Amino acid sequence: MATIPAPQYQPGGTTPRNPPSASSRVRRTMHRWVLFILMVVVAVVMLYPFWYIIDNAFRSAGQFDRQSGHSLSGWNQLFANLPVASELLNSTLVCVAAIAIILVVSTTAGFAFAKLRYRGSGMVFLLVVSALMVPLQSILFPEFVNLSNVSLTSSYAGAVLVYAALGTPFATFLMATYYRGISDELIEAAVMDGLGYERTFLQIAIPLSLPAIATITVLQFIQIWDDLLVGLFFLPTNQRTITAGLATLSTGRTTSVPALMAGSLISAIPAIVVYLIFQRHLIKGLTLGMGK
Amino acid sequence: MARIELDAVTKQFPDGTKAVRSLDLAVGDGELLVLVGPSGCGKTTALRMVAGLEDVTSGTISIDGRAVNDVEPRHRDIAMVFQSYALYPHLSVYDNMAFSLKYRGGVPKAEIRQRVAEAARVLELEPYLQRKPRQLSGGQRQRVAMGRAIVRQPRAFLMDEPLSNLDAKLRVQMRAEIAQLQRTLGTTTIYVTHDQTEAMTLGSRVAVISGGVLQQIAAPQELYRRPANLFVASFIGSPPMNLVDARLERGGSETDGGGPVVVFGPHRIGVPAEVVTEHPALERYLGEPIVAGIRPEHLRDAALTVDGGDRPAQPVIELPIKLREELGSEVFVHGAIGTAAHVSDDAADDVRSLATIVAKMDPRTQIAEGKTAAIAVDAARLQFFDPATGASIRG
Repeated sequence: MATIPAPQYQPGGTTPRNPPSASSRVRRTMHRWVLFILMVVVAVVMLYPFWYIIDNAFRSAGQFDRQSGHSLSGWNQLFANLPVASELLNSTLVCVAAIAIILVVSTTAGFAFAKLRYRGSGMVFLLVVSALMVPLQSILFPEFVNLSNVSLTSSYAGAVLVYAALGTPFATFLMATYYRGISDELIEAAVMDGLGYERTFLQIAIPLSLPAIATITVLQFIQIWDDLLVGLFFLPTNQRTITAGLATLSTGRTTSVPALMAGSLISAIPAIVVYLIFQRHLIKGLTLGMGK
Repeated sequence: MARIELDAVTKQFPDGTKAVRSLDLAVGDGELLVLVGPSGCGKTTALRMVAGLEDVTSGTISIDGRAVNDVEPRHRDIAMVFQSYALYPHLSVYDNMAFSLKYRGGVPKAEIRQRVAEAARVLELEPYLQRKPRQLSGGQRQRVAMGRAIVRQPRAFLMDEPLSNLDAKLRVQMRAEIAQLQRTLGTTTIYVTHDQTEAMTLGSRVAVISGGVLQQIAAPQELYRRPANLFVASFIGSPPMNLVDARLERGGSETDGGGPVVVFGPHRIGVPAEVVTEHPALERYLGEPIVAGIRPEHLRDAALTVDGGDRPAQPVIELPIKLREELGSEVFVHGAIGTAAHVSDDAADDVRSLATIVAKMDPRTQIAEGKTAAIAVDAARLQFFDPATGASIRG
């Protein structure tokens, strides 16, 4: 009597499959290697500047020229020429204040655009979003004139307002998109539960939009912290941000690269820390609205 | 508990769409009224106007005699159960249920705890109070939504298709639970559904709505037995009532029973004397076209009727059988009637346009596809409608 052979066990699958041919195995291995090499190249391109900064921050000017040896000379020079602590504090103050304004405006406006029905809301939303298209450079001088007319160019307030104005359109767009993803019935349930729209916003909408708020916080923090132009234009010397301060290290024909690298390293750390803290929410926030 | 009244309530949206047209309704204290109708008929809009989530274009909504058109939803003291349940995803089951009491204020913490515990006990949610909604099954979420409404002890419940997201088995179970709960609490309830079975089994009265217009409001049996018009006749009942374009002719022959005769295609059905007595207006339609209706359950296999000998003599029509559907406890047979079936504007692509009528048969029937079968018609259950207005011919 003929016997039917039992199907062979295949790891990773429940049904027997034909083993891949030798040529297809080679093709798959080649494909993996090409992908791996490509990713290594991209990683090197992305990470090399960081390595360059770290390596050269710990050299003196001579060591930098020779590209050998390490010392703390660059750091000494940085702290001697720049009030690093106060400039870091200035950067923090400007960032926190501007982000606070951006968050208040964008969450309330985003909620209104997404959940409240009123005449002309679509047109107003379009106007807000169209502000995304306006480059900073084109409004810098008009803004400077406006703010100097109300004496706001010699304090934190001027820079904070400019940063808030620049960041709000994108943040409002993101928040409105996020709130549109929240079911209308959820908002209505809160209204029926006795909250009214104001408390519904605070008790329901805000807790549910924390990923979007985290996304805005990180993106705006990085943008404002790294910005040079507004800091140079709108802040007086004693209120300069760290980025604006670093720009003054390079004076005419003399530039101390190690001091500049040390300053850049210090300047980059807060942005990296903020990113690492919020990165989980950031990814969730950036992919919002992509699917169910 | 409360009495809710809608007086000539109309809702027109800014784009000109009239969702609800001059709706008059009165929901008694402690009553469970079901609004039923096809998708887009305006039933949910009507419910949302009662809730205060939609403005009323014209007319008056009153609760316990007080007009509430301009009263904020939060001040109407009404709880709503939404189709999607609308549970707060960031809060635990306990906090979802206690939410309203916490934020409305005026209820001591101990009483909030006690009310939530009691609702959780009734709804069998005690083991899940600390879980988040995403950790619950569909049925449990639905119970939490019910619990959130119950703990408030509102004057009325509004339920917007609360079972439509559940599977068929769970829907039947939850339907019974809601009915039992409503009877226990005795809270005035308006329940919206598109499912006529749900409407018939739940409601002490059912309001059928189509195109924003109230078609009929009555007890379930009344809707079934005496539909006010063609829409109600075809919407209530599953399978729907068979409707055929016919003529009402003067009978006279002994086989016709001496009274009027309904004629459609090659078929003649004598109208029994008691039906004529009950529908005196039929006299006016003699020689005129009418729409005749008979429910599938009032058609029987003539062979079984005669053999069983337990039925009075009924008119018999011979129909070629196009389809036989076995459902276990019953059999549906689809027979070609040899003429055009009545097709209403609302049901242009309905099965009736296939010029067939459906009969719900005893499972013992031997009727087979492709054969001609003798179908006995319970003529005492015939319904008649004016083809021009669609209204039932009575009075």
